Amino acid sequence: MMQSLRRLCGVLPLGVFWLLPFAVGVVAVGLAGFDGMAWVALFLHPQFWPALALSIVTGSLSLVISTLLAFWIVAGLHGSTRLADFMGSFLSLPHLAFAIGFGFLIMPSGVFARIIGLLAGWSETPQWVTTQDPYGISLTAALVLKEVPFIVWLIAALLARTDIGEMLAKQFRVGQSLGHGGASIWLRIFIPQILPRLKWPLIVVWVYGASVVDMALAIGPTQPPTLAVIIWSDLNNVDQAINARGSVGALFLTAALGVIATLFQFVTSVSSIATRRFLVAGPSLSRAPRKPAFALLALFAAIYALVLGVLLIMSVGSQWPYPNLMPAQIRWAAWSQLVDSPAPLLTSLTFICCCVATALSLSVIWFETFTDRLDRYLLGLAVAALAIPSLLIADGQYLAFLQLGLNGTWFGVFLSTLTPVFAYVFIVMRGPYRAFDPRYRSVSLGLNASAFRFWAAVKLPLMKPVLAAAAAVGVGVSIAQYVPVQLVASGRLATLTTEAVTLSSGGNRPLLAVFSLMLAFVPLAAFLIAARLGK
Amino acid sequence: MSLRFENVGIALGAKPLIRPFMLSIKAGEVVTLMGPSGCGKSSLLAYVAGDLEAPLRGVGRVVLNGVDLADLRPEQRQVGRLFQDDLLFPHMTVGENLMFGVKRGQPRLEMMQTALARAELEGLEDRSPQTLSGGQRVRVSLMRTLLAKPAAMLLDEPFNKLDKDLRATMRAYVFDHLLTRNIPCLMVTHDQDDAPNNGRIFRVAADGEVRHV
Repeated sequence: MMQSLRRLCGVLPLGVFWLLPFAVGVVAVGLAGFDGMAWVALFLHPQFWPALALSIVTGSLSLVISTLLAFWIVAGLHGSTRLADFMGSFLSLPHLAFAIGFGFLIMPSGVFARIIGLLAGWSETPQWVTTQDPYGISLTAALVLKEVPFIVWLIAALLARTDIGEMLAKQFRVGQSLGHGGASIWLRIFIPQILPRLKWPLIVVWVYGASVVDMALAIGPTQPPTLAVIIWSDLNNVDQAINARGSVGALFLTAALGVIATLFQFVTSVSSIATRRFLVAGPSLSRAPRKPAFALLALFAAIYALVLGVLLIMSVGSQWPYPNLMPAQIRWAAWSQLVDSPAPLLTSLTFICCCVATALSLSVIWFETFTDRLDRYLLGLAVAALAIPSLLIADGQYLAFLQLGLNGTWFGVFLSTLTPVFAYVFIVMRGPYRAFDPRYRSVSLGLNASAFRFWAAVKLPLMKPVLAAAAAVGVGVSIAQYVPVQLVASGRLATLTTEAVTLSSGGNRPLLAVFSLMLAFVPLAAFLIAARLGK
Repeated sequence: MSLRFENVGIALGAKPLIRPFMLSIKAGEVVTLMGPSGCGKSSLLAYVAGDLEAPLRGVGRVVLNGVDLADLRPEQRQVGRLFQDDLLFPHMTVGENLMFGVKRGQPRLEMMQTALARAELEGLEDRSPQTLSGGQRVRVSLMRTLLAKPAAMLLDEPFNKLDKDLRATMRAYVFDHLLTRNIPCLMVTHDQDDAPNNGRIFRVAADGEVRHV
């Protein structure tokens, strides 16, 4: 009786705040799929096929390039630096803020064009089409620049795990004693064992790239845009028939990604004969190139620094004639605008606090009421919440919340933001929280401590770094949410992210830079605080 | 073929673990180096293989068939190693593990089949290493090392994790193969029973001195 009551208490808040909104969203958008007219309208959309191709190509290309570059960096710098430690500061920068800053670098009147212009003596901005180029190259580049640090972090974290990392380190020695150089060991021993373990995170990265809305609006192509952007404008239309076309579009994009992932799995299993032959082709002495890997890492650091730098300059330079490297005069107008009307910042901060606190509580309650045998079910759901395009889930939640009267309410936006935030927080926390040595509990209870006192006085302090790291991730995820906020809020709530997207379509560039900087600053601060608490 | 140690020693920072010693191992000979754990004997093997990590450092020359190993990268040294764990690659089959170190241009399939036969594991080439018994895995691990044609062998307590009966069989099996191939071999262990009969045995004393037993 006690046991089942306890379990009910464990699962009830999770059900109300996370499982139910997630499930309701998926069901609602699934039901929206039974609309034949909407499907017809979707396939008759003149830009449908090129837009689909753009989405798939930008998503897939960015995944392939970033995975290659990430392995290049980790293999080249293997054993020399603790990469995982300083990837966090790259990671905490939201995609949108990065894309906006990156756009300021590459646009015709951007920093790169100014530097070249000064050297070549140009007096006018060049005629190049960089941001919003028709092939999605700038979108792909921004995705690559943003995903490489994440994949590097994933690999480094895997290598730092005691079980897998030590085994691979020993295998490295065996490989060397059998005559293989570093490059060969990475290609033949490490990557074949690491890649399968990164399958789901890479799928999440790929789906994100192929269905991202905010980044695509900021620097993606426009004629045609990516399919996600077409779906997005359909969903935001006042006409309900066009809304329905957007819903089936989201379903179609999700299904297409699912089919491609399955096909890819099939192709790799068929082509495994070739890879197996490669495994035993014989030793090669080539080493993993260290200098290029270091140069690549330095390039990434430089671009991130430039992105932040250009955002800073943009935020105070409304008058910035080409090709000067610095604005004519410094104006703080945009910053004072932030101070005068801080509503978007405060709304963002409120959502962050509520979502992160709820996600942490739900995770801890889960860990404390259920044994780790049940973890894989919730883990599966959490991964699903991230591997399904947020466009689809958020649209479903919008449709369901319409019936419940939750659209346009603070609580509705909170629930739909919590869906990805909890998923990330739970995934990040699970490993380290479950690794807690259970003997501490036995010892504490043996010292006459109550179960609660053990948890509050022993476990919680020991878990502080874990909670802090998960909270930092939660802050980064919740501040970056665009699609669920914009859709469920129905335009009634403005956050830093929604304002930044609105401003990115033209208009007040200094204010856009200020919002982007705040987007970058809040998660970075959270990350730095977490790193301090972790020591 | 010979493996020669000329004033080779191991130090942890400024503290000497193994004081410089001289030793020459002949082709087909297995020399045993004994000592308690933490005495630096595994580090000595890492120094020979070329992957000793700071703050440990080695001094002196290790000469294999007239070549100073310091001039070569680990993967160029042709020094085979067996560890406590068999360390078979889990993502490869038994056959692929065996062929992994076979030099390019050699008939690797035939060599793999011959090695399987010698290890009395015929027909198991497509099995995953995880499905083998402990003894089978040690045999595959040894054969994998030998197929890479090492010029010297280093054994790091290779029988430590085996149970008593298996241990005697595996010991005989490994030494037999090393002898027939004329490979000089240095084995470190903390168990005197591991050493081959009539083989030379050295011990790392508490002061780091290497003494013949």
